[in-house]
Amino acid sequence: MKKTILFSIIAFLFIPLAVTDARGNEVAQLQQEMSALRSQFSEMKMSYETRITQLETKIEDLQKTYSIRAEKPQIAPPVQPQSTSLGRYFQSFNPDVSVIGDFTYHTTDKKNEEFRNQFQMRQTELAFSASVDPYARGDFFFHVEQEDGAWHIGLCEGYLTLLTLPIEGLQAKAGKFKVEFGKANKYHLHNLPWVDYPNMITNYFGEEGMSEPGVSASYLIPNPWNKYIELTGQVVNNSNGVSFAGSDSKDLVYLGHLKTFFDLNEESTVELGSSLAAGSNNEGHGRFGKNMTTLEGIDLTYKWHPLQKGLYKSLTFQNELLFSQKDRPYFDDGTDIIDGKRLDSWGAYSSLSYQFAKRWTAFGRYDFSEFPDYTKNRENACSLGLTFAQSEYCLWRLQFKRTNRNFDKDENAVWLQCDFGLGPHRKHEY
Amino acid sequence: MRKICVFLIILLALSGFAYGKDAINVLTTTEDLKSIAEAIGGDKVKVDSLARGIQDPHFVDAKPSFMMKAKNADFFIRIGLELEIGYEDLIIDGSRNQKIRIGNPGHLDASEGVYLLEVPTTTKVDRSMGDVHPMGNPHYWLDPENVKIVARNITNRLSELSPENAGYFQKNLKAFDKKMDEKMVEWNKKMATFKGKKIAIYHRSWPYFVNRFGLVVACELEPKPGIPPSPAHLKEVIDIMKRDKVGVILMEVFYDEKPAQFVAGQTGAKVIVVPNSVGGTKEAKDYFSLVDMIIDKLVEGLKT
Repeated sequence: MKKTILFSIIAFLFIPLAVTDARGNEVAQLQQEMSALRSQFSEMKMSYETRITQLETKIEDLQKTYSIRAEKPQIAPPVQPQSTSLGRYFQSFNPDVSVIGDFTYHTTDKKNEEFRNQFQMRQTELAFSASVDPYARGDFFFHVEQEDGAWHIGLCEGYLTLLTLPIEGLQAKAGKFKVEFGKANKYHLHNLPWVDYPNMITNYFGEEGMSEPGVSASYLIPNPWNKYIELTGQVVNNSNGVSFAGSDSKDLVYLGHLKTFFDLNEESTVELGSSLAAGSNNEGHGRFGKNMTTLEGIDLTYKWHPLQKGLYKSLTFQNELLFSQKDRPYFDDGTDIIDGKRLDSWGAYSSLSYQFAKRWTAFGRYDFSEFPDYTKNRENACSLGLTFAQSEYCLWRLQFKRTNRNFDKDENAVWLQCDFGLGPHRKHEY
Repeated sequence: MRKICVFLIILLALSGFAYGKDAINVLTTTEDLKSIAEAIGGDKVKVDSLARGIQDPHFVDAKPSFMMKAKNADFFIRIGLELEIGYEDLIIDGSRNQKIRIGNPGHLDASEGVYLLEVPTTTKVDRSMGDVHPMGNPHYWLDPENVKIVARNITNRLSELSPENAGYFQKNLKAFDKKMDEKMVEWNKKMATFKGKKIAIYHRSWPYFVNRFGLVVACELEPKPGIPPSPAHLKEVIDIMKRDKVGVILMEVFYDEKPAQFVAGQTGAKVIVVPNSVGGTKEAKDYFSLVDMIIDKLVEGLKT
């Protein structure tokens, strides 16, 4: 019994020790866990504090941006307001620079034609355009062309346009530019609606029309109908050698152009223009004194461009008429020079183009043209063609042209043309 | 000669009457901007627009008659982000109107401060990417929240041009914002059940609208912005639409419906043709009715 009691006492004495040991282990474990939790908590706290600080900064930034946007109306807004991440798109003070290639394959049954059955990089245009200052803009168009096997660069146009003049509606231009005579003369090779210029243009102004150094002023005439009526006056060097005096001349050619424009409705328009040019001609500097050339022109263009389906359909009917009176002081009859007379001649073209799908346009053009120096020589030509616009910046064109001449053999010619442009070339006029 | 002089004097006198005005002449590039300017300007403005709502706003002819409209304008408002790059300069230069040239108070780029999508993040932007806009997608007016910013921009500028009417413009802005907030509740409610729903679109006119109302663009019929759909690309579109069970093709009124109808025929999807601008249909007579119309037609299409 004693033994039992003693065992019980010892056992009783040891129980707390055992319990204490077990508790001690638990406490140690708990302490370890607590410590781990503390460190985790501290890490989380730090992480959340960092994130909260970052978010607060962002909120502050957003609030600043919002308050700027919402509360401060900009008195003089920047050209493009999105300043963030867009800086790299600004051109700063660089002009718009474009390069446009005009590539052709030409075949003809005229055996002495220079580029018969040849591929030809007919022209490369380099264009630079920018505002000069708050009052003016500048435009330059250089043409790189092959001549006699060598490449030449020439200035097709380079002019300053004064946009703000004291007289409302007045604008002026100075430099070298395509003169304001009709419609087709102003086209550059790459934006012709055909492969070639109308015969009327080449026969009276030269291969690429008339582009001369000079000054120009145009005025929008106020009228009660609020219609577009523009009167342009130009004075340019008399260096066109086809109808006028040529590069040796030291005098000037005077031009006037009146243009009116009407909306028949929102989809159809009519443009009517009349032109006049006068100057001495190439016979005016020899023994027979000053002789004049006078050119008169009328142009009429009808355009249809539907609003809703304008991406897929359009029609342009363009017509021009030119009359020439050129004083010719003498004729060489083979034995003697005899007094001459005024030669009257004329030329015209009529063109119809119809866009029948987003990328496809069919066109036809009829040409009639005499020559400023030969009233009896004349050309009749019919052209038919098809344009495939791969995109706004690249087109392919096929054109057939039959020319009947009363002074030479008839000619059948075919061109395949590809025009392609790089850069933000400023759109041409309507 | 005397007769000509008399005629010219009468002409000039009449032209003076023609230009007599008491309201601010506002010229906008799109009818959406016209609608907003009319809401803010009320009877203090006379607003005209160059592009019509049924027309692709990227391709507007720089007609001389538009130059006359610009000549008579006191305030010119454009969408910006190069949407009008093809005609804006020619029209403003041709107008000879100094007031509306860039940098003057009479010229406003309405995109000031709007929320932009698709700002290119590549180091180079070129035409191999299609008609991409280097400053971001310009169709931001299809997000009503952006239109509130545009309305504020117009209000601020009108107030600057006509300080005596600033209070009137502010009052109109408040009313405009209030109506927009109310309509947003209504539009969100209508679109709530379609959150996350995938749709196909023709051109990237719709990302702002889709983003605002929680839809997802699964694919586009144009392989790249402004490039017409090719057969090979349409095949990919059909595969994506079948895979993602896309039931709707959303497209603008001025594009050819044939590619969309072809895809719809192959996939069983519904083609929904809606204007993306005010004036695109008779019903879309102002900005609110435009969004009403887009949402109603879209909801109808998504339900089926």
